[in-house]
Amino acid sequence: MKTQRKIWMSLFCALGLQSVTFAQEPPEVVETPPSPPEEIVEEVQEPVEEVAGEVVEEVIEEEQIDSELFIDPDSPYLYIHGADIHTVTNGVIQKGDILCKDGRVMKLGESLRKPHGARQIDASGMQIYPGLIAVDSSGIVSGRGLSIRDSYDPYALNIDLGLSGGLTTVQSGGAVAKLKHGTLDGILLGEANWVNMNYSTTSPSGRRKLREDFSKVRDFLREEKRWILDKALGEDVSEKAPEPKDVNKEYLSLLKGEAVAHFSANSLKDLLATCDLLEEYPMQSVIMGGREAWACAGRLGRVGAQLVITPRAKSWADDSLNRPSGWSIENARILWDHGVSFSILPGERFISTGGIAGRDLLTLPMEAAFAIRGGLPQDVALRSITLDAAKLLGVDHRLGSIEVGKDADFILCDGDLFHYRTFVQWAVVDGAVAYDKMNAPYFAHIRPRAAESLEEVFEEIQDTVVGEEIIEEVVAEEAASIDDPEEE
Amino acid sequence: MLASLLLTFALPAVAPQETPRDPVGRVVVYRFDTVETMDGETLSNVTMLVRNGVIERMGQAVVIPDHAEVHDYRGSGKVAMPPFALSHANFLVSDRRGDGRNTRYTAADSIWLNEDWSEDLLEEGVLIVGVDPPGGGLPGRTSVLMVDDQTGAPNALVSDLHLKVMVSTSSSAKSLVRDGFKAADKAIADEDKARAEWKKAREEWEAKQKEAAEAKQKASEGKDGVDGKEVKKGTEVKGGKGGTAAQDEGGDNQEDKGPPEEFEVPKMDSDVEPLVEWVRQERVGQVWLSSPSDWLHWQDLLRERELQYEIVLRHGSTQNLFEVASSIAATDLRVDVPARLSFLPYTRVRANLPAELVAQGVSKLILSPSSDSLTGLRDYRLSVSQVVAEGLDRKVALRGMTVEPALSMGQEEIIGALKIGAPATFVIWNGDPLDPMSEVDIVLSEGKVVYDREKAEAEDQS
Repeated sequence: MKTQRKIWMSLFCALGLQSVTFAQEPPEVVETPPSPPEEIVEEVQEPVEEVAGEVVEEVIEEEQIDSELFIDPDSPYLYIHGADIHTVTNGVIQKGDILCKDGRVMKLGESLRKPHGARQIDASGMQIYPGLIAVDSSGIVSGRGLSIRDSYDPYALNIDLGLSGGLTTVQSGGAVAKLKHGTLDGILLGEANWVNMNYSTTSPSGRRKLREDFSKVRDFLREEKRWILDKALGEDVSEKAPEPKDVNKEYLSLLKGEAVAHFSANSLKDLLATCDLLEEYPMQSVIMGGREAWACAGRLGRVGAQLVITPRAKSWADDSLNRPSGWSIENARILWDHGVSFSILPGERFISTGGIAGRDLLTLPMEAAFAIRGGLPQDVALRSITLDAAKLLGVDHRLGSIEVGKDADFILCDGDLFHYRTFVQWAVVDGAVAYDKMNAPYFAHIRPRAAESLEEVFEEIQDTVVGEEIIEEVVAEEAASIDDPEEE
Repeated sequence: MLASLLLTFALPAVAPQETPRDPVGRVVVYRFDTVETMDGETLSNVTMLVRNGVIERMGQAVVIPDHAEVHDYRGSGKVAMPPFALSHANFLVSDRRGDGRNTRYTAADSIWLNEDWSEDLLEEGVLIVGVDPPGGGLPGRTSVLMVDDQTGAPNALVSDLHLKVMVSTSSSAKSLVRDGFKAADKAIADEDKARAEWKKAREEWEAKQKEAAEAKQKASEGKDGVDGKEVKKGTEVKGGKGGTAAQDEGGDNQEDKGPPEEFEVPKMDSDVEPLVEWVRQERVGQVWLSSPSDWLHWQDLLRERELQYEIVLRHGSTQNLFEVASSIAATDLRVDVPARLSFLPYTRVRANLPAELVAQGVSKLILSPSSDSLTGLRDYRLSVSQVVAEGLDRKVALRGMTVEPALSMGQEEIIGALKIGAPATFVIWNGDPLDPMSEVDIVLSEGKVVYDREKAEAEDQS
């Protein structure tokens, strides 16, 4: 099977260079709004000819060849080199290297030394982003909670497709799971302790009941606090702590800050009602939808709500209402202006190979790109589908940005993440390549990578020939094959 | 020419009836152009001397005794080879059962055979079939049947063989197996505990017996000595002071024999017992997988546990099992795989899983028909020939249809390599067995003709 692929790859090699030319074009989708200098996403790229030249040059240096040949596939180290690293938290490192060990980022910076035998990805000209996170999904992993592990299929098409769309982590069935290929190790990150709230404007009695329940919980918490204080002061109180009788346990965990309330609100009316509740009972919350959130962004910011929005979800303004209504392309930008934290999800929370393409989890960055079109800074858009999503799921201590000590979950793209032409070339999860576009069935044939990485070229040489002379011959052939498309 | 051919066919069938010779010492000689020995060799121009159902001589220079009955198939293109052993002939099973722990059942409980079952199998050159218990999860234990046209009745060689375990990528299927292991571990722990208790009780009892015997001896010695009566009295008093234990001791001496000499194994749940045997490595399991993730989940279930098992791969027309081929090969297990060319998922790239497994180092390969039905059996050789045409070694393929499944079923005595000293159990094909147009002429079991196509066709016509 492998050899078959190699043959395909070498076939693509002859035609492939053109593709990189496409990918390297600086995509100027939106004007980048003013933001701190280190966070400006620079799109300065070298012309392809030079990249190709580099490859040839490196090949000629024999010492380098030797060091390249010693790659231990079981090495704990992964060395990614020569890419622009979008760290999310610390701006962009131009032409930087990442060194990972045992699935964690160990070092980050320019010109890092490569440990002996480390696995390596030559990512020259690539853009590296943290793996994207879908705060809600269905159909990518199945099961609920811990049972997700027992029904996880790490060879499933949807996992591959999710990775090809840049996703490395999804929340599903109340648990946060990583997308990995060929292993069951470390796929569960933890549980997203969400309490689903039905607080819709259509049921006034239900809302009253909910508020009453919350009031009971608050009374109990006051009672408990008083008891603790009295006890600490040596007052004459009962030995036993007050017990939460007739109190909704879920709401108790919400008001204690142990869980996150999960609302669903799109209209201004619903959003304001939710804000009222959150003002009365402060708690961690996620509001799904938020189509008219732009109209009450300030209020949402003040109650500290987190939103999950779908920038492309449209609804027309209702002229009969004496208030702002309808969707706005500026929704995300306005929310950001008002300091509201949000994540972005497409309209469909699954991966679809049918229907109309571009509105499912296969194209999450496109949804964020639409928010950029509405004025959202590009780095904020990136944060909304990485770090902010991780915060929402309570896994930001491990995911969401490229930092030393965090999980080595990245996507290596051949262009700007928010450009429609960009492909994820590699997805790295826990320091291992979980997806390689050239080996995946769906997109391998579309604009295949120009030259294989040095690593792969030498692997092939190692397999077939021994001796320096022959290596040189093959290198010359390889160089010729790289030159060929230019002549065309 | 035709007449003479017919005559040769008629001979083995008719001759024994016309001259009712004592079969003891009967010598039959077969002469073939080609014999697939399954011993790694394909012999040509072979003379095979069969005495009392055993191959006595085989080779090119064999002296044919005067009284021998000679069947000379040279020049006819006929090929002799061991019969096929079908590892999973589940079309012979009639019951339906759901998923669950049904390990108390064996496949032999559920078989239903129609009149022609043996002829259907023999005309495809099958002499032994394995059958599986119906259902999923832990459906029970497999059985092995001998296909014998003579008796017509099922001749179960083994009714209780492998423990079938269906593993799939679902939490319910996994927890079923996990709970099975837990139950087995608990049963073993309970038994160990009971054994320890018995051992302790027995030792205590034996110690007491010894003590009592010593006391008795002492007493008798005392009798011989000066103050016999007093000593005896003393022991009695001592016994009385010792309380219940001593009284028990006294009782033991007279009536109670104490704990049994041999440990009585507590009776186990019949659904747990096969699992316990498996965990104790007294039984071979048969793990069914259909996707590469099943293999990972099986590894996850297995963890550090050491078990004896075989792998049965069952997949559809597309598969990505090649992803774990090397991992499976590294375990050196026997692998049962359908002879089928499949596609890599979401592509029209053809994948030859049997060849891939062999390339990765699987040495014990069983090839089964790609569909578990009589039609599948009729397409068996066609699909194997396709797999061979696309890269599987021919000898490995033939072994995978005959000797390997027989080994898996523990029937290597019946279907094994054709060599001197082996039973004359073989099939005479009228051409290359992997040519789908070839047909079985004769099936011999220990020198006896159990199927003869000419005869069978004549019977069908009449």
